[in-house]
Amino acid sequence: MADIVIMPKLGQATEESTIIKWHKKEGDLVKKGDVLFEMETDKAVLEAESFFEGTLLKIIVPEGVTVPVNPAVAFVGKPGETLPEPPPLPTTRQTPAASPTQQPAPTPLQAPAPTAPPPDGTPAPAKAATQIQPPAVPQRRPISPRARALAKSCAIDPSSIQGTGPNGRVTEADVIACLKIQGYDNIRISPAAKNLAMLNNLDILRIRGTGDGGRIMVQDVERAIREKPRPMSKMRQVIARRLTESFTTIPHFYVTVSADMTDLMAYRKELKDRGKSYTVTDFILEAVVLSLLEFPSVNSVAEGTNVRWRGSVDLGVAVSLEDGLVVPVIRNADSLSMPELRDAARVLTEKARSGKLLPDEMTGSSFTVSNMGMMNVENFHAIINPGEGAILAVASAIETAVVRDGKITARTMMKMTLSADHRIVDGAVGAAFINAIRSKLEDVELWKPLT
Amino acid sequence: MPNYFSNRPPNFKPATINCGTIAAYRYRKNLKAEIEAGNLTKARAIEMLEDMLTIREFEEMIVKLRSGAYEPCKGYDYRGPTHVSIGQEATSVGACFGIAPDDYITSTHRGHGDSIAKGCVAIRAMPTEQLRQRLGTSDTNIPKSELVEAALEDHVYKTIAELFGKEDGYCKGRGGGMHIADFTVGHLGANAIVGGGVPIATGAAMAARYLQEKRVVCCFAGDGAYSNGVVLESLNWAAQSQFTNHLAGDHKFGIPIIFLIVNNHYGMTGRADDEVTGVACLARRGAGFAENNMHAEVVNGMNALAVMEAVKRAADLCRKGKGPVLLELNTYRYYGHSLSDPRFEYRTKDEEASWKAVDPIEQFEREMLNAKAITPKALEALKEKVRARNARAAAKAASAADPNPADVIAFMYTDTRADTVPERFAKTKIVKAPPEIKRQDGKLTYKDAIKEALYEEMLRDSRVIFYGEDVADYGGAFKVTKGLLEAFGRERVFNTPISEAAICGTAVGAAMAGLRPVVELMYMDFALMASDQISNQAAKWHYMSGAKAEIPLVYRVSVGGGKGYGGQHSQTLESVFAHIPGLYVVYPSTPYDAKGLLKAAIRDNNPVMYVESQLLYGIKGDVPEGDYLVPLGVADIKREGKDLTIIAWGPAVPDALKASERLAAEKKLSVEVVDIRSLVPLDLETILASVRKTGKCVVASQAISIGSYTGEIASVIMEKAFDYLDAPVMRVGAKNGIAPQSHVLEAAFLPNANDIFNAALQLF
Ligand SMILES: Cc1ncc(C[n+]2csc(CCOP(=O)(O)OP(=O)(O)O)c2C)c(N)n1
Repeated sequence: MADIVIMPKLGQATEESTIIKWHKKEGDLVKKGDVLFEMETDKAVLEAESFFEGTLLKIIVPEGVTVPVNPAVAFVGKPGETLPEPPPLPTTRQTPAASPTQQPAPTPLQAPAPTAPPPDGTPAPAKAATQIQPPAVPQRRPISPRARALAKSCAIDPSSIQGTGPNGRVTEADVIACLKIQGYDNIRISPAAKNLAMLNNLDILRIRGTGDGGRIMVQDVERAIREKPRPMSKMRQVIARRLTESFTTIPHFYVTVSADMTDLMAYRKELKDRGKSYTVTDFILEAVVLSLLEFPSVNSVAEGTNVRWRGSVDLGVAVSLEDGLVVPVIRNADSLSMPELRDAARVLTEKARSGKLLPDEMTGSSFTVSNMGMMNVENFHAIINPGEGAILAVASAIETAVVRDGKITARTMMKMTLSADHRIVDGAVGAAFINAIRSKLEDVELWKPLT
Repeated sequence: MPNYFSNRPPNFKPATINCGTIAAYRYRKNLKAEIEAGNLTKARAIEMLEDMLTIREFEEMIVKLRSGAYEPCKGYDYRGPTHVSIGQEATSVGACFGIAPDDYITSTHRGHGDSIAKGCVAIRAMPTEQLRQRLGTSDTNIPKSELVEAALEDHVYKTIAELFGKEDGYCKGRGGGMHIADFTVGHLGANAIVGGGVPIATGAAMAARYLQEKRVVCCFAGDGAYSNGVVLESLNWAAQSQFTNHLAGDHKFGIPIIFLIVNNHYGMTGRADDEVTGVACLARRGAGFAENNMHAEVVNGMNALAVMEAVKRAADLCRKGKGPVLLELNTYRYYGHSLSDPRFEYRTKDEEASWKAVDPIEQFEREMLNAKAITPKALEALKEKVRARNARAAAKAASAADPNPADVIAFMYTDTRADTVPERFAKTKIVKAPPEIKRQDGKLTYKDAIKEALYEEMLRDSRVIFYGEDVADYGGAFKVTKGLLEAFGRERVFNTPISEAAICGTAVGAAMAGLRPVVELMYMDFALMASDQISNQAAKWHYMSGAKAEIPLVYRVSVGGGKGYGGQHSQTLESVFAHIPGLYVVYPSTPYDAKGLLKAAIRDNNPVMYVESQLLYGIKGDVPEGDYLVPLGVADIKREGKDLTIIAWGPAVPDALKASERLAAEKKLSVEVVDIRSLVPLDLETILASVRKTGKCVVASQAISIGSYTGEIASVIMEKAFDYLDAPVMRVGAKNGIAPQSHVLEAAFLPNANDIFNAALQLF
């Protein structure tokens, strides 16, 4: 079998070499010790001698190609021998002959670009050319490791202890003084309770004991553990942030109406008997869509000193979940027929309940309906979703004694309250808008062609 | 014959100083003549050829391995140096056949040949029982010839395995080819520090002289090495008159060493000829050091017979006490410094061809055939045997087990000690009178405590010898050892040339060859002159030899700060040496510890740097008479307390004690002072226990703070006792500068009790 000539590894640090000249051609006779080729390493130009006798059958690595050390570069053997398939060249690089080696342009020092989006999912601010602020080191009250360890072993919280050491550092002596002042020695606590408190970083000075003579017992600690603040779920943190932002930055005003749903309820039943099923919400949603088309200023949003009209009705429908609330969006609700609207609402609500909503299906609504009809409530006020101009809060439809034509009569009344951004929706517009909804819900004739 | 007073008046009479002549290429015989004269048997000639062939096969293997062309272990990735000596085989084999099997050699980074030849010669001379032991067999039916053959193969295997970094290698893969050593055959180590092995060889020869063993040391080193200071120091050392003149009393005996200059004409690439030296022949070096030119001679290093003959004559001279001998072997290496050296930047192909034309092996083969010492067929068979043996050994080595990564720092130190003294060395006698040691109410000065320790240990064990500059008649620059010469004579206590590197290096060789030397450096600053010998040789040989070598020696180094001696005589450098793995470093602060620690250091089988302070030489303290040891690596609580720990060593300990008293008196603080006594090994337990108790800590030494061991201790405390700290760990040291001469400046420079007091206050 033919011998394989290998690119010799001559220096310990040599990683790759280039054959700069073959001294033999394919077909040449080769004797042991003949110079086969010249190679260039990072350090030097060297001649590679043959360890084999025979004919140079094939050159695998041609001149000017840089290869890592130790791959096969040629075969030497008897003419006519079949050669094994040469292994593919590991990374080959053409080195242009006689061109000066080029230094890669120095990369300017750059601060690493932040890649991870902020944890709350809001889009990262555009990468500005501004300097990147080092993360602020949280201000810590100095405390010596020994003092901290002592506080921990006593199961007390040292954060309120005044330090008297150098630079106000809390030292062991300060912890001891605090224990004394707080009457730590008089605290009675069962060993198991103390252990549990320590494990849970509780301050036993703050746990009320219910045992014999005020002794702190395990159940007292367990109570304290349950009372310990715990972080909100991610979803709740988003809800909290958005609602706070909305409620503290948007001047809300509220206007409430009572809609007489008696006739619509009857019509709905009639439809159902005919095999067409609509929920009360479906009617409300359609009434809202129609009214928004009449009152474009309600389907708008305030942005700084601008007001932006939303060209389509992207209707948010609040769906409450076990631990929170999501608002799926029915896009272009104004272009949907009533059955289409109903179906879209049903699909999205289903998805919301089973946790399958995509982020896209929860953003960009222009108006939201929050229906608590099934919760048996008289009335409530909703908080506007940021990015919208108003929200409609729908309460339960309740049989109510009302006066009609001077007589007291029982009707099914449903209160609705519009919360509107007062910067863009005047009181009169809000009132007209919600009355438009109301009158649509009360007008059965309107629904006949739609359903 | 201890004391001797010089009394030489001036003499300026005109004269000519004769440097003598140097013979070159005296050897005129050939193999046939040697055999006919009965100087060499045919069998021995065949062994010489076999060993040269073995060396060449071995080194060609290295060359081929690097190109993936060595068939028996194809694909094996050899990582490591490639300093082959192909072309020089006659020097290794000629020399090793010229000395006795139990003589010593030291070698170099290009030492595969020396190592292989020394082993082969020694193995063939081993008694059957030793061969069996070596091979780990108890089978008494195996004939000796087979045992020898097996041992030779095992020798090649262990050598290759070492090259490949395997656990089975001579040094367990810790040393590699450049540091290969096999003490069982008298190979005291190859050395990757050019010239680094030469003082070691000199020290081993000194030991052979002292022990009167008739052993010779053959010291291989290249032409490049003969420009290195420590080599020149060694030549001077070996040629000192005191070993052969009236000072030597009835043991007038020259140091039995053969300095073999293996002149292959190139350092790495630098040319010994015409370029980096000023002489045409390096054998001239001898003339600078010895009236007899060290019997210098230039020898044809391409002819194994010429080398053997010259080395034999040299060894005879040495065994008669006429050493040292200097031989220059003129030879050539066919390859570059290593395989990455293309070599045609500095020499011609014609030059190479002319040397290859006198190839030592081809020449020898021709002479063998001529002399009918071997038939062509037998020659082929011999070559095949060598090739096959090397192939088997290489294949086995390639697949042998690697060392366990978990053992990466095993073998750094030995845990053995000279707890008992072999009978042969336990008999010592006082030559004239024991040294004067003034004891008052059981108290000694620090320096007398050192003297007493030395005296007791030298009395206990004749392997303990003591030397240094001016330490004999004069008793040392600080009179610490006054009286030891009178007690033990110049065989055991002697002055040395001003050659710090040779002082420290000969101690390594003497320790390897069976002595337990204590040597003195007048100022610790001078340890930097000897840093290679201390740090690369003394410290590393136990590990690099795979725990085969033990280096029981003590470097007594004296710190001179505080006397206005300026930058080069005032440094506290123990932190530098604590950073060198393989060394122990101790620094006593009281007379009691000074004695006990020195005695423990002398009995320990590791190299110990024993630091002493000139500031403390005069302090007095209780020192029991007679034997007691202060174990290495055990700290001492010099004062107990509960509010603050001060960790200190050396002169910082008395300062810490002073500061503690003030802190108690003025601040009502109870201070604990921990004197670590040993920097390496460090007694962490005592330190941590104290810090855990007090929660506050100052670490103090006299060293400047940058890079000081105080930082090491502070950081270990932080790692291991963080939760016990009630304040940051403070450090006290000298200002981060150079010791000034002005006493006003030096007072500002050095730390004192006040600095420790102030550092402590910052913690409260
Ligand atoms: C103290 C020291 N300096 C430099 C080197 C780098 N070096 C390794 S070998 C060598 C040349 C040694 O020349 P020589 O003593 O003639 O031995 P040769 O290599 O020729 O056998 C040098 C400079 C080293 N290993 N040690």
